[in-house]
This record gives sequence, C-alpha cells and structure tokens, in this order.
Amino acid sequence: MTIHSLYIYDRHCVCVYYQDWHRTKGPRPAAAAGGILPAVSPAVYPRQEEPTLESASTYSSPRNTLTSSSGVVVAINDEPRTPLPPQMQTSATQSQNPSSILTFDEEAKLVYGVVLSLRNMVRKLSGKDEQFVNYKTSSYKLHLYETLSGYKFVMLSDPNADSLRFVLRQIYSGPFLEYVVRNPLMKMDSREHGIDNEYFRMSTDRMIRGLTVFQ
Amino acid sequence: MAIHGLWVINKAGGLVYQRNFGDGLPHLTSNEYLVLAGTLHGIHAITSRLSPTGSSSGAQEICGETFKLTILLTATGTKFVLLTSLVEPNAGSVLQKVYEVYADAVMKNPFHTPEMPVRSEGFDARITALIGSG
Repeated sequence: MTIHSLYIYDRHCVCVYYQDWHRTKGPRPAAAAGGILPAVSPAVYPRQEEPTLESASTYSSPRNTLTSSSGVVVAINDEPRTPLPPQMQTSATQSQNPSSILTFDEEAKLVYGVVLSLRNMVRKLSGKDEQFVNYKTSSYKLHLYETLSGYKFVMLSDPNADSLRFVLRQIYSGPFLEYVVRNPLMKMDSREHGIDNEYFRMSTDRMIRGLTVFQ
Repeated sequence: MAIHGLWVINKAGGLVYQRNFGDGLPHLTSNEYLVLAGTLHGIHAITSRLSPTGSSSGAQEICGETFKLTILLTATGTKFVLLTSLVEPNAGSVLQKVYEVYADAVMKNPFHTPEMPVRSEGFDARITALIGSG
C-alpha cells in the first residue's frame, strides 16, 4: 500500500501543483515550450541533463527563462528546497523505452481529461449532481476531490487502498487553505503561476507520510 | 445490493448491447448510452497509460457516490460493463458469467454478425435468468 502522486488543478483546467512519492515510473520532464506553469513542482521541469529526450527547440525557446526564479513573488519558490529524499525514479525510467513514457505536461492533461470525462459520465448516469469518486486499475487507483471553487485534487494510490477522499479534503482544509489561500503573496487563479511553495509542500508531505496507507 | 444495468461494448467502442435492470438509475436515451459507451472506451485506453508503476490494465472499477461501474475486458477487446450499487461484491463474477452466456448465446449463433448490435432472444432470456428482469 502506498501513495504515488498528487495533482491539483484549478478551475481553468491547469495543473497548479504536483508532488510524487513512490513512483517507479516517473514522468519525463515537461517539454519546455509546452504548457506547464512555473511553481508547479521542481521535479518535472525541463532538465539540461537529458538532451536526447527533447527536441532541439527546447533550448532555443525563450520560455525557458520562466523556470529560473525571477524574484517577482518572494513566497513562491520555483525551486523549493524540500526535505524530500531524491526520487528513485531515475534508474527505472532509463530502463524503459523513453517514448512510451509521457512527458509531464502530457500526463497532467491526460489525468485532467480522464477525471473530467468520468465526472461528466457519472453525472449523466446518476441523473443528479453526483460526484465521481475514484477508479481502479490493476496497478493503481485514482481518487478525486473537487472543491466548490473548482479546484480538483487528484491522488494516485495503491489499488487496494480505501477511498482517500477524506485525505484530499484534509489537504484542502489544512495546508491548502493555510498556505495557499491565506497566503497574500500567492496569486490565485493567475493562469501563469502554480501554487507551489515550501510550506505547502512540506506540510502536505508530512500529512501524506503520516497516513497509514503510506509506507 | 442492486444491479442497475449491463453494457456490452465491442472492440471499436460501439455499444452492442445495453439493458437496464430496475429503476436505481435514470433511464437515458439509446443515443446517450452510445455516447457514454464511446467515452468509456476512450477513458479505458487512457487509464492504462497513466500508471505510475509499470504497466497497467485499463480501469476495472469506476465509483461514483452511489453506484459503480465494473468493467471486464476480454482477450478479444470486448468490454462487459456492469452498473451496480456500491456494495456489490460479486459484480466481477456476474460479469464472468455474462461473458460465458455471451460466448454461448451470441458468438455461437451463426446468424450473428460480429461487432454488430446483439439482438437475440436467447441471450436476453439467459441474462434475465442470470441477473433478473428489468
């Protein structure tokens, strides 16, 4: 039993936060010209060390500068110094065919698409305003919690885990409200900045690591 | 403990059989069911690519707040989908039996065209015997 990853989307369908724990198959870093915002997660930005995986346009793109910290907003860390141990994903990633692994921005869009389609499907089938809760495959389980303001919290866990909706709700009512909503330096709904900051990441991390399903 | 519906989706994503049992869920038009089945087919393909750990099957169980869909993917790509209440521990075995009935009453029927909608009284009767009428 374990927890693999957490995605947070805002109401504009944009991934504003990402964090992962036990992922043996990590995403490739996002394409530089593609769509991820700064301050989503330090783990998935285009990396200079992997020139073979990216197209040539990666390095000529002026948008690369977005990942460097511009110092506009003090409390938002583009590269937070998190106490997380280095991921064990690198060795596993390299052993697989790189083209079969999605880049992070593709993956984030697919997750959002699946969640949105299933939400509409459940709503249609139930005939009332029923929410989609989770789905399960042979190797993982995806949980969704949607707030009234349109934020979607998506978590991938072990397939045998019980419903983790309450955990997502706790993340919302605890760290999210405390360190994102009540953070005066955080531009909510900006469409150009994620919500990653050191306090939010640490406190989410502590909360997840304290769960019994997390091992 | 209630079964609300059964779908059979062919390997191209077309809904070839759909039947409701009881009034647990609202009855939609056949067009809406066709669209939902197509959507489910696409989602099923995507979910197998999102695995954080190695290779994965597509979605096997999709839960809402009051009902769930249990999906059985056969080796030939046909999907059997059972809509049940949340607490239905033997949905998987019911689907396995539906698959057997499908093999007997549909695939062995010389007048059935593969991948086309199932219109067979024999299949209907045996599903009724298995799940109940609706």
